[in-house]
Amino acid sequence: MHYVIIGNGVAGINAANQLRKRDETSSITIISKESDHFFSRTALMYVLCGQMSPSDVEPYPRDHYQRMNFTRVRDEVVALSPSETSLKLSSGETIQYDRLLIASGSMARSAGWPGEELDGVGNFVTWQNLEWLTEKSRTAKKAVVVGGGLIGIEVAETLLAAGIEVTFLIREKWFWPIAMDQNEGLMIIDHMRHHGCNVRLQTEVKKIISQEEKVTGVEIGDGEIVDCDIVVATIGVVPQTGWLVESGIELDKSGGIVVGDHLETNLPNIWAAGDCTSVVWFNGIRRPEQLWYTSRDQGRIVGLNMSGDKRVYKRSTFYNSAKLFDIEYTTAGYVNFNFEGEQNWYHREPDTNRTTRITYLPDGSVTGFNMLGRRWDHRILVDWVDEKRQLDWVLQNLHIANFDEEFFPSFKIDTQALKSGVV
Amino acid sequence: MQAGLLQTYNNSAQRRGAGAWIIASLLFAFYILIYFTEAFTPVAHAIGLSGKWNLYGILYTIAILSGGLYFFKRHGNSRYHRYRTISVMLVQTVFAFSIPWFMELMQTRGFIFSLFWPLKIDYFYPSYIMEYPLPVILYAILGSLIIVPIATFLFGKRWYCSWVCGCGGLAETAGEPFRHLSNKKPGAWKFEQISIHTVMLLALITSAIVLINWGLGKEVNGVMVPMYPAFSTVVFKIQGIYSFFVVALLSGVFGVALYPILGSRVWCRFFCPLAAYMGLIQKLGRFRVTVKDDMCISCGNCSTYCEMGIDVRMYAQNNIDVKRASCVGCGMCAHVCPRGVLKLENKWDPNPMAEESKIKVFDL
Ligand SMILES: Cc1cc2nc3c(=O)[nH]c(=O)nc-3n(C[C@H](O)[C@H](O)[C@H](O)COP(=O)(O)OP(=O)(O)OC[C@H]3O[C@@H](n4cnc5c(N)ncnc54)[C@H](O)[C@@H]3O)c2cc1C
Ligand code: SF4
Repeated sequence: MHYVIIGNGVAGINAANQLRKRDETSSITIISKESDHFFSRTALMYVLCGQMSPSDVEPYPRDHYQRMNFTRVRDEVVALSPSETSLKLSSGETIQYDRLLIASGSMARSAGWPGEELDGVGNFVTWQNLEWLTEKSRTAKKAVVVGGGLIGIEVAETLLAAGIEVTFLIREKWFWPIAMDQNEGLMIIDHMRHHGCNVRLQTEVKKIISQEEKVTGVEIGDGEIVDCDIVVATIGVVPQTGWLVESGIELDKSGGIVVGDHLETNLPNIWAAGDCTSVVWFNGIRRPEQLWYTSRDQGRIVGLNMSGDKRVYKRSTFYNSAKLFDIEYTTAGYVNFNFEGEQNWYHREPDTNRTTRITYLPDGSVTGFNMLGRRWDHRILVDWVDEKRQLDWVLQNLHIANFDEEFFPSFKIDTQALKSGVV
Repeated sequence: MQAGLLQTYNNSAQRRGAGAWIIASLLFAFYILIYFTEAFTPVAHAIGLSGKWNLYGILYTIAILSGGLYFFKRHGNSRYHRYRTISVMLVQTVFAFSIPWFMELMQTRGFIFSLFWPLKIDYFYPSYIMEYPLPVILYAILGSLIIVPIATFLFGKRWYCSWVCGCGGLAETAGEPFRHLSNKKPGAWKFEQISIHTVMLLALITSAIVLINWGLGKEVNGVMVPMYPAFSTVVFKIQGIYSFFVVALLSGVFGVALYPILGSRVWCRFFCPLAAYMGLIQKLGRFRVTVKDDMCISCGNCSTYCEMGIDVRMYAQNNIDVKRASCVGCGMCAHVCPRGVLKLENKWDPNPMAEESKIKVFDL
């Protein structure tokens, strides 16, 4: 049996590990165009800022592939031919598979700005992007970061720390509206400004200005020009599946590979996992889940399924965490799904950037938590959401889920605030 | 991103570049001179000190205090780190430096209350300890045999290694820029298990035969004389070998000179007999680094900045709490984790070895 895995990301490597666990003898080939070793994409910013070396962000020892007897191919797959069960590589070679996993991840969404192709304009998703930005940040004086999401804030923070003047252009009214409400999003904006980041809200790029192929600025909505030497576009990611369009694999309208409950595609002996995959969410809507955690879980399950299991991939209750400059963020449950009649319990600890937001339904059962400035044990919060705990009970017991470092100022909500409900 | 750690990898002195080798060579030369020659004695006398060890004490304290301030600049945004750094700075200044100094002014031999056997092996050498008043003798014995194990069972060895100890204190302060240089490879872990327990065994044997030899002595006209002179000669030899190789070479010369090459905890991780002793208790005790399941993004900050070379990420990405004998509970992994996955805790655990055994599962 020859298993072929396209993608050396978290989905691909987890699938490969599970396959090897089940099957010690079959040959397993991992194809990646990006890197020889699996690295943590989430840690790109730490290499950019010099906090870690490139090899520090490799989660497994270098000899992992040898020990597991994985064959690696460093090349780009350009076409899939299901009828011949083969892949075509950019080098012209073909690879035959018995069972195939597509875990090709996502790629930066193209912005479509005039001037986007210039050398001073780039993204921050791949290892090659990291090398590009590392090089540019050595000489750049001013940078424009476009797109108010997680990757954008990571890039802005890192470039600022490198002494570069950063203008952060955000299209929306506050930072990261798919995760934050107005209070939270504006608090983060204040915090960024406090750190010297020049944030412009409700601003979009019209075009890139350049002189002799060198970026000199960007023109924004009202015709104003913001000077800069580099532009980093972080306006989202899309499934990296363009090369599959003619293969007969079913893609959804975002380009995600449509899979069934077992992460199988519409074609025999082909599975998909990770960012490139479109799955059905808890609310019945089909779309990709572009997260480290879901990619990892999908990889583990698909590995077992490829070796003969029939496990259902069912996304557990949502959770995520992030660090926004130095403000830690944890979310659990469903805070931004606007359930009918949903209400917010919101509290900001006086004179701090520590906030607590709990969403709940008219019957009092909590649906989600959005927490900033403290650490929380998402496992407990997720359980409370699953158990449909009452808001009153949750507020009384919230300290149980606190996960702050020892000696961190302890979590207390004064009883007045508790009673009034609106804080 | 932790402001203090930025550019760590862009600074050649922190990356085993030329600067690192220069610092290491200077430290090496300094330690050879201070341990094995009298080169610094005139210097000490010139500034009114009684000898080279007083000079060394002053320099050591300055290193911890200035290193402590540097540490504050880097990690002062965390209370845990503020408190433990203040603690090592205070302990060094008061217990390791001022009190012994004062005792010497009072014409008695200085005693360092923040050291315990077997790190300070002399405390179990009768010829050394019997010169002190009874309360001090009791303190030295009960400290090692009662306080150390109980405190370690309750709080992990961090109560000593990261809050009290002078060797650890230097590592945590002046050694801070080099913490990421510890070797994370499984081979280093194997070596550590062998080397540290070997030194512990040597310390035990040396202490035991010194005690036996003393017990076998008899008093003749108010002077102790050995009953078996041949045995005594061997004992003195072994005592001398231990103090040359372990105390002078490993804890002094190599322990500190190798900071810029192998990280700041070479002595603590590979050789310290007290660390080995507490490590065994820690494995059975309450302390652990709790891992929040499924939240790790495998970024590697925790492993990179673990000064003891523990691959914390391997535990975190497999949802296994960290219960390692070597962990000194410095708390840096939890501090640098950008996803708040880790938490140092003292928590009663009915089955302390359960988590550790999971690591052998073929799961990596
Ligand atoms: C800067 C940044 C920060 C992030 N931070 C977080 C975070 O904090 N939390 C979180 O949950 N998620 C985060 N994410 C998202 C997370 O990294 C992804 O969800 C996850 O890496 C997806 O893993 P994957 O295995 O599906 O794909 P990827 O990691 O994208 O791997 C794709 C693999 O496929 C290969 N490949 C693709 N196409 C081809 C081809 N045609 N031929 C050959 N090989 C191919 C690539 O070489 C690569 O090895 C972040 C992403 C970025 C970019
Ligand atoms: S535990 Fe934290 S620091 Fe360590 S790898 Fe995981 S996310 Fe990174």
